[in-house]
Amino acid sequence: MLSKIKIALSTLVAGATVAALTAFATPAPAPAPAQMPANAAAPAQAAMPAATPVPAIKASNSTADHSKFKELQKTFKSAPEVTKACLTCHTEAAKQIQKTKHWTFEFINPETKQKLGKKHVINNFCTAVESNQKFCNACHIGYGWENDKFDFTAEQNVDCVVCHESTGTYRKVPGLSGHPTYKDMEFPPHSGKIVKAPDLSKVAQSVGKTSRANCGSCHFYGGGGDAVKHGDIDSSLTNPPRYLDVHMEKKGLNFSCGTCHMTSAHQVPGSRYAPTAADTKDAAPHMRGKADNSNPSTCQSCHGTKPHPAKMAKLNEHTDKIACQTCHIPEYARGQATKMTWDWSTAGKLTPEGKPITKKDSAGRNAYDSKKGDFTWEDHVIPEYVWFNGKVNYTLRETKLDPSKVVKINSFEGSASDGKSLIWPIKVFRGQQPYDSVSNTLLVPHTFGDDDTSFWSNFNWDKSLEAGMKAANAPYSGKYGFVKTEMSWPITHMVAPKADALTCAQCHSHNGRLKNVTGIYMPGRGDNNKWLDMGGWTIALLTLIGVLLHGAGRIYANRKG
Amino acid sequence: MSVEKIYVFKLFERFWHWSQASLIIFMLVTGFEVHGSYHLFGFAKAVGYHTIAAWTLIGLWIFAIFWHFTTGEWKQYIPTLEKVEAMIKYYALGMFTHAPHPFRATQLKKHNPLQRLAYLGVMLFIGPLLWFSGWFYLFYSEWNAWGVDKYVSLEWVALFHTAGAFFMLIFLIAHLYLTTAGHTPTSHIKAMITGWEEVE
Amino acid sequence: MLKLIGGFIAGLAFIGIMAYNFASSLMFWEIPSPFGMEETVARIQQNIQNTGNGWTLAGLRNPAKAVEADGGNALPVMMVEACSTRYSGPILKDDTVRFLSILMPCKISVYKKQDGKTYIAGMNAGLMGKMFGPMVGEVMGHVAEDQAKFVIFDASKPAPPMIKGVPGAAGGAAAGGGGGC
Repeated sequence: MLSKIKIALSTLVAGATVAALTAFATPAPAPAPAQMPANAAAPAQAAMPAATPVPAIKASNSTADHSKFKELQKTFKSAPEVTKACLTCHTEAAKQIQKTKHWTFEFINPETKQKLGKKHVINNFCTAVESNQKFCNACHIGYGWENDKFDFTAEQNVDCVVCHESTGTYRKVPGLSGHPTYKDMEFPPHSGKIVKAPDLSKVAQSVGKTSRANCGSCHFYGGGGDAVKHGDIDSSLTNPPRYLDVHMEKKGLNFSCGTCHMTSAHQVPGSRYAPTAADTKDAAPHMRGKADNSNPSTCQSCHGTKPHPAKMAKLNEHTDKIACQTCHIPEYARGQATKMTWDWSTAGKLTPEGKPITKKDSAGRNAYDSKKGDFTWEDHVIPEYVWFNGKVNYTLRETKLDPSKVVKINSFEGSASDGKSLIWPIKVFRGQQPYDSVSNTLLVPHTFGDDDTSFWSNFNWDKSLEAGMKAANAPYSGKYGFVKTEMSWPITHMVAPKADALTCAQCHSHNGRLKNVTGIYMPGRGDNNKWLDMGGWTIALLTLIGVLLHGAGRIYANRKG
Repeated sequence: MSVEKIYVFKLFERFWHWSQASLIIFMLVTGFEVHGSYHLFGFAKAVGYHTIAAWTLIGLWIFAIFWHFTTGEWKQYIPTLEKVEAMIKYYALGMFTHAPHPFRATQLKKHNPLQRLAYLGVMLFIGPLLWFSGWFYLFYSEWNAWGVDKYVSLEWVALFHTAGAFFMLIFLIAHLYLTTAGHTPTSHIKAMITGWEEVE
Repeated sequence: MLKLIGGFIAGLAFIGIMAYNFASSLMFWEIPSPFGMEETVARIQQNIQNTGNGWTLAGLRNPAKAVEADGGNALPVMMVEACSTRYSGPILKDDTVRFLSILMPCKISVYKKQDGKTYIAGMNAGLMGKMFGPMVGEVMGHVAEDQAKFVIFDASKPAPPMIKGVPGAAGGAAAGGGGGC
């Protein structure tokens, strides 16, 4: 184990020289810390924590105080040892975890049969995990997944504490294949910031229910840094004020993620691969704890399908067409800016001396990084709106694409007429990324590593793509280009107080929020029949002119005598 | 030519007329705002006002229908083609040459033949058009429960409702003008206020 | 005669209605910005500093933050405050127009609207100034000329960093030393 760590450390240090300050990003999971050196807060990544101690075990109603357990009152040399201690009592926990996509990073969509999950999907953030596991898998709930030889059945490889510890000191550092650091280390390299090795016995003794900070240690940092990916999930949710999230406000309802994502046997419900777009269960609130196949994390599972009071009955008539989120999350990224675009095609620019470059935008956010290319950021983003029925189709590594068009990494299916779709708010993330210009498929770049082929050490796409595709066991013609891509994310978190919901006229007006939503007639939007309008007004006007002339004629006739 | 006065419009009738007139004008104003033609009250308020006015008008019509049948006044709207030609001639020419009005109102025949046709048209065509389409509009979310969602689309409902509104607007313009076409320019209007019409 | 007077009164009423309708657009201007919030603010700040004539930044206010602190949501608003003693001085010295200090410091507002785009708004200082006599009219005329320069952007230049804290002008209060207002 130790030797593994040493390797990991030396990897990091070496990689660092070239790689410069930034740490970076992983494709999907988001270890993310450092990606932007600029963003001082980011390094918090897995550790976000320190600043935000978790609710506190002391106030817990639990019948067990883990600090009193003999199994945990010892010095742990490595994190897997902690897991072994956990499993002495929680005998089934690892088996349960190993069935989840948090562990397998794999999800077969039951409808489309597409093989998804972080292991397979190529996105337009950090692109792909394959060949970069050491880095990306800082957000895997396991230890040691650095290549295809990882043992998915070894129970001690399950990371219990990242989801259950409450000290806020435990942090999985990118580059260590999912391990925490066991001795103090500088991270990101050359940043001057020291990540302390956690006291594993304190961490083990602090375990309890999973808090916002636990989930957030990965999910807040998706896409390679705080707030990068989702726009509605970032570190501002660790302890959100009321305006940002009416359910999670600490002084208010103080929901944890699990209040909605009501987990059983470690299976967390709620999915972006196969979301519940329209929860039409009429029997209003789903009974908590009742065994059925319904998704407990929808708004409707608590609020029902007619949530508005009688005097707002008209709003209840909207619930079969409009997702709750459309009105109740009027803007996303209201806590901090989220990344909106990422152009890999400009990555690799160096100074005349061959040094990588970083640039900041007016707000002090990363605007360019030689390792990754150009970015833009935005806060308080007005979502785009689409019909969505829950079916998502992905452009996978082997999917043929048309490079003359914008490639949809994932496309949301839905229409006004299929009876299953609601109008949803989405974040659309746009970018450019490498593709095989001969076979017209997306490419897996090898980005992280101290070897000569990783993009971050030599800024050479040819070598990086060749190594990445080799690791992915996939053919590569050797010719690449950059293709425009788009990825959609449903907006569903950061529900605003009800007073901030959209008002009627924000959609029922010309150029309103839903101006691009087709297939439905909306009063006030100008969907009117142009001929009828033109004809109606014309005849009305002619009638008016007619009677006025008639009247004038009468007056004239009268005068004449 | 002697001027005499006859009592043509009873109290309820006058109340019905004026309250209906103000409701219809108000519904035109709010309706075309909902339609998106201009901004006045704001969409949300326009919808709210329009809906309240619709229910009020429905209530008023229930009373009016009841009144017309109990009093037998509905007969006033039985269409007749007699003298229609004369009326048209009068409006087109006679009015400019001080020809006598071809129709003399009585308590039993208080509307001239063109009025009869026009009002019957309003009540049998424009009214039901607005009513039916408006009803579907109002109960949009019940279509599913009614089982009509496959046959009706909001686009068409709105189209018919808007068409009805245009007919009503055109009727209103013509009607407003023709109120001045009585024995004197104000005699029709006075009649609708006081009940007493001056006739020649 | 009656017609003449009637026509005159109708004309007056017409002008009154028009003035009432257009008053807001006469007293204030609003233009769309080609940039995002922060970049717009940063470029305006840079323009203010490059304009000369004694202009200094006096503060950067974010009224939307107060709404958020109160538990509500508001789309972002940032008010760039700027001042030049060259223009404020003469007005502040004259008792008859000292009340115009209520318009100080000079503000340019940058905000996002429902369409997701960034807009810039300011006061029409030139027209407003004319209402308060020749001295104020002249001063405000200069202010208006300079203000126009604040919102001329050179997109070929890189985005400057936004200046968040203005020394001596915390929270938008008037700056102390250093030539603020």
